[in-house]
Amino acid sequence: MPRRARSTAVGYALLAPSLFGVLAFLLLPMLVVAWLSLHRWDLLGPISYVGLDNWRSVLTDPVFGNSLLATLGFIALVVPTQMALGLVAAALLARELPGSGVFRTLYVLPWVCAPLAIAVLWRWILAPTDGAVAAVLGRQIDWLTDPGLALPVVSAVTVWSGVGYTTLFFVAGMLAIPPQVHAAATVDGASSWQRFWRITLPMMRPTLFFVAVTGVISAAQVFDTVYALTGGGPQHRTDLVAHRIYAEAFGAAAIGRAAVMALVLFVILVGITVVQHLYFRRRISYDLT
Amino acid sequence: MTSPRSWLVYLGLVVGAVITLAPFSLGLLTSVTSASQFATGSPLSWPDPPTLENYSGLAGFGFGRALVVTALMTAVILVGQLTFSVLAAYAFARLEFPGRDTLFWVYIATLMVPATVTVVPLYLMMAQLGLRNTFWALVLPFVFGSPYAIFLLREHFRAIPRDLERAARIDGANTLDVLVHVVLPSSRPILVTLALITVVTQWNSFMWPLVITSGSQWRVLTVATAGLQSQYNAQWTLVMAATTIAIVPLLVLFLAFQRHITRSIVVTGLK
Repeated sequence: MPRRARSTAVGYALLAPSLFGVLAFLLLPMLVVAWLSLHRWDLLGPISYVGLDNWRSVLTDPVFGNSLLATLGFIALVVPTQMALGLVAAALLARELPGSGVFRTLYVLPWVCAPLAIAVLWRWILAPTDGAVAAVLGRQIDWLTDPGLALPVVSAVTVWSGVGYTTLFFVAGMLAIPPQVHAAATVDGASSWQRFWRITLPMMRPTLFFVAVTGVISAAQVFDTVYALTGGGPQHRTDLVAHRIYAEAFGAAAIGRAAVMALVLFVILVGITVVQHLYFRRRISYDLT
Repeated sequence: MTSPRSWLVYLGLVVGAVITLAPFSLGLLTSVTSASQFATGSPLSWPDPPTLENYSGLAGFGFGRALVVTALMTAVILVGQLTFSVLAAYAFARLEFPGRDTLFWVYIATLMVPATVTVVPLYLMMAQLGLRNTFWALVLPFVFGSPYAIFLLREHFRAIPRDLERAARIDGANTLDVLVHVVLPSSRPILVTLALITVVTQWNSFMWPLVITSGSQWRVLTVATAGLQSQYNAQWTLVMAATTIAIVPLLVLFLAFQRHITRSIVVTGLK
């Protein structure tokens, strides 16, 4: 066999399994979800074509609108809080005092654990009568069933488990700033507060942007935490979009409508990703050839 | 060195550590408290005496089997993903064949496909194949490699000096020999990183196992924990034992590899 033909054969042989995986379990599902959005299926019976009915009903459905808004509110609560706390923790860790490594490891612990297990743990801690917080405070607060509290509380649990992860990036970003820059500013009489705002933050812009974008993308898909903490309640206050897709598909058995919602989420996430790439292309050039 | 300022820094770090560790510690303590003590005393009273009755009680809810299914699922996906990702990454990094670059961009494009979006269509596909509630349904979507792993591995493979491979080729090695004896040994750190990412992701996965399995046969730990919590809401000592079992194996893994994991999170944006 000529060398070139053999290289082609070997190349495709090596690619075959992953190519099958990519086609069958990543690209085909995108076609299937688009196809499903035009059909009605209740998980068991036959599938019937309904044209744009699902699209009309979902896009005018106040429950879905609420769910997008709740997700937006959730993102607005989670991402800035997580970044602010992450910056504080990173500022403490970046001094590299003895033992910093131990603290850095501790902070990441919640992030390694199953979000579902974390949510169940917090469900006990926040349980109104026999939970840990109730025992400490000595009074009952309906953290998860009070319509005004539920979304902030779900956000707080998400922040609690994600801060350590964010912190790691910020520590890396801070340590990458050349010490001479800080030294020069100190000589010029800048206080550490001024140095943080005028040097550290501006020089960390790429890191901040990366953490913000990935934070938004993952917050937009939070499911496990909602499922175990509130089940989307009370009064749909924590019915984040991933949970709505699940409830629509496997609770209400309205697969076609769930497919529309999934596609709407997809378009939003791709939009965010594209913006991110446009931003990063200007600063870093990836070699992908 | 221990200026007043350092003490303030340590104070801040300790506050953070307490906030992080307190929920875990309280959950662990509750899991070794007897149900009767929990029901009569304060929820935060010290376990007296500590008991493993909650853990043995979990066996009656199929947690033994769930542990095995979770470990098996994680292991199968781990082996498949690493093997097939290495093969693909090597082809993309080193072999010349028509369509290579186009295919690579197709792989990269699939990085934008979120799992939340594919759950519904994958469910239909598995239903059509008659694979609902089987072990295959748990592993099939993930076992053939991950575009993200392929992307990272390709970068690393391209950084390996070509002379090493040429020397092996001259000695008569074929592609597989080169992979096993030259490429893999010099890629150990990235392989460990990817293995850890895969284990964490799969062990913790919840949404897909939740929808594609039903009943106790192929139930994984996260699904079993969620089921126990919704069914026995008031039996927190039992539920905390379940939570502990779901969490502890990964905590051990994390502490064993903590240097590696904290570094690789930053390198790869591990998600």
